[in-house]
Amino acid sequence: MKKLLIILFVGLLVATASAETKRYNVSLEGSPSVGPQNAPVTIVEFIDYQ
Amino acid sequence: MAAGPAVEKILKDYGNKVRLAIKFYPYKYRDFARISAEAALAASDQGKFWEMHRLLLKKSPKLDRASLIGYAKEIGLDADKFRESLDKRKNDKIIERDVNLALSLDLYNTPTFFINGRRVIGDVPYEYLKKIVVEELNAAKK
Repeated sequence: MKKLLIILFVGLLVATASAETKRYNVSLEGSPSVGPQNAPVTIVEFIDYQ
Repeated sequence: MAAGPAVEKILKDYGNKVRLAIKFYPYKYRDFARISAEAALAASDQGKFWEMHRLLLKKSPKLDRASLIGYAKEIGLDADKFRESLDKRKNDKIIERDVNLALSLDLYNTPTFFINGRRVIGDVPYEYLKKIVVEELNAAKK
């Protein structure tokens, strides 16, 4: 019974981790930007003008 | 491509809480993609990046060299300096750095956004961008 609980618990952990949003680390440094330096939300936009 | 109106509206509605940075990812096979990025950075060197950025989004795909020089004059840039910057590809290193970053992130579409690191691909509707921005704002409050 204890073993089963542990398996369930580990399974739940894995499920939670994979449900978490993937976040990429994209530096804003050296790119033209607008808005406050300490803004809670940063948007990096890759563009092609054409 | 770039998401003009949707991003503009986000800045209008959440401008005091959002910082937007632009990275250049000109496609190899488009004639004016690279020179347009040079134009934006040449304007940036004269303190007018956003004016040029908006104009390029508006005028795309009319982005040949002569048109770009016309746009520079339209927003009051020093045309000689601007032309020199284009012709010498003065900011090529910045563009190359961004392209390499894009490739390292396996990007093959523009626009692609990273909103607090969350990837959003394509010219998505305002409502979708807003949803993610609001989620991130709420998460930041916790």
